[in-house]
Amino acid sequence: MLYPDTVESEVLVHKPWFVGVMFAAIFALFLAFDLSGTLLGELMRPVIGEPLESGIYGRFAIAFVIAALFCLNVVLIGFASLRVQITIVWLELLLLFLAFFKTFNLSLPFMAEKLPFLVTQGLFTTIYVSAISIVIASAIAILGAVAKLSTNGFAYAIASFYTSFFRGLPLLMQVYLIYLGLPQLGFVIDAVPAGILALSLCYGAYMTEIFRSGIQSIDRGQWEASRSIGFGFGITMRKIILPQALPVIIPPTGNQFISMLKDSSLVSVIGVWELMFLARTLGQKSFQHMEMLISAAMLYWVVSICLELIQSRIERHYARSKIR
Amino acid sequence: MTKTSTLAALVASLSLSLAAVPAQAGAVLDRVLAAKTLKVATDANWAPQSFVNDKNEMDGFDIDVAKEIGKRLGVSVEFVTPGWDIITAGKWQGRWDMHVGSMTPTKARAEIFDFPAVYYYTPAAVAVHKDSKAEKLSDLEGKVVGVTATSTFEAYANQDLTLDAAGAPPFTYEFKAGEVKSYANSTTAFDDLRLGDGTRLDAVVSTLPSILDAEKAGYPIKQLGKPVFFEPLAVAVEHGDKELSEKIAEAVDAIRADGTLSKLSVKWYGVDYTVTQ
Repeated sequence: MLYPDTVESEVLVHKPWFVGVMFAAIFALFLAFDLSGTLLGELMRPVIGEPLESGIYGRFAIAFVIAALFCLNVVLIGFASLRVQITIVWLELLLLFLAFFKTFNLSLPFMAEKLPFLVTQGLFTTIYVSAISIVIASAIAILGAVAKLSTNGFAYAIASFYTSFFRGLPLLMQVYLIYLGLPQLGFVIDAVPAGILALSLCYGAYMTEIFRSGIQSIDRGQWEASRSIGFGFGITMRKIILPQALPVIIPPTGNQFISMLKDSSLVSVIGVWELMFLARTLGQKSFQHMEMLISAAMLYWVVSICLELIQSRIERHYARSKIR
Repeated sequence: MTKTSTLAALVASLSLSLAAVPAQAGAVLDRVLAAKTLKVATDANWAPQSFVNDKNEMDGFDIDVAKEIGKRLGVSVEFVTPGWDIITAGKWQGRWDMHVGSMTPTKARAEIFDFPAVYYYTPAAVAVHKDSKAEKLSDLEGKVVGVTATSTFEAYANQDLTLDAAGAPPFTYEFKAGEVKSYANSTTAFDDLRLGDGTRLDAVVSTLPSILDAEKAGYPIKQLGKPVFFEPLAVAVEHGDKELSEKIAEAVDAIRADGTLSKLSVKWYGVDYTVTQ
């Protein structure tokens, strides 16, 4: 259900047909793999005998056990309260992920040795490049949204040209164009400012559209009422329109911030030593690139999670009026 | 809407302010000597020429050569690591002053860059199976030779090689292959050669370092005769500052004359690649 309501109904994962379908699907899936050579086969030894010689029966038994365990797990989680459910499912997915990475046979000492440099040089650069870009992009977006909604032909033309151009080119190409192209005009720009400029302009264009649609989602009666009691442009925006538009704007803007964080990796092509650059470079000599790529991936993820938490906090703040 | 038109003006003036122009000075050398730093562009991902070492610093043969050049000029060296395509695009705009990154000085590149000094050579050599009866290169006349597709080695085997690089030593074709087999990379060619003398291939033309690496990795192959040609690799700077080019040429000459260059080559490759035998 989309919202909690007072209609009594049975939990989906406790309905016999759902559990049955789930069991059949998992069973069929694992029947397709031969897992008798793995740890699972070893654990099943008392039932199936020598795992490698168990053949189709062993396969059948292993798939059956996996499907049964999976369904039991889901049904049990169904009894818990919402908050506990979310926590358990998160932890289980995380464990699955860790098990997946474990199969890569990574050298943990190497990761631990390189981690400080990845953080102080790489993550630091990534964060400050994206943070500055986010601030500039937000400013551009407000200007652009207002310009796109205005009745002024110049403002509209410039703003729509801008959004069309910067949304229409790949960000990587913009990075190249700004880094290699601006010097042609005699404006030599370093790698980091060039990257920040490209990120700000590109994300400013996307966020212009987000802000515009957010502002437009407010009924024009609000604008007319405000104007009719004598409010000017500024006060109408600040006191009437934006406070109502922000709850609409925030979720997609949070998306943009997170994707900006990761797209900042594109500035590595112009030689900025940010997280992605180091991830590709540090393990190269000793053929340990997987270690570095995964470390960097985890760092990106951790920072994204922080941004997600901040976003949900802000959303909760603006949803106060909707709470029952 | 007066407020929005001021906004439009603001946007317009913002874009104009980008046109402020700090021009690039002509004499790169003056700038380098004044700042006491030489900015060197190189690759961060090309061991053992240049890579990031355990201490998270740039290291490698190219790096050592660049540092040595800086020392002779009496300035400190700073490394920047833009992508290869950005370096070879030219128009450095003073972002860096010199490139030490094993660039082959071809005619096409000479239109954008000056190559003040060749500092080492990649020798191309011929490998045969350990059991091969060939004793000299001319014994390979009419035999089956494996090469990397579209490489200079393929051109050599087909007797169709133009080395237009400045400083490339002259070479002669030592044998005429009966059949040239082209592979995606040299490893596959070595894999076919290891099957036995003449099973699929009689010989492979490749870089000497890769032949030696394969030998070290246990491939039953050996180098036959001397290297067949040498591909020079040079320091690159942009056109327009003759004094800088002369200074760099002088510095590299001095490094070569006192034996430092050979020592560095032996340190990184185990072999002296700075001379052609």
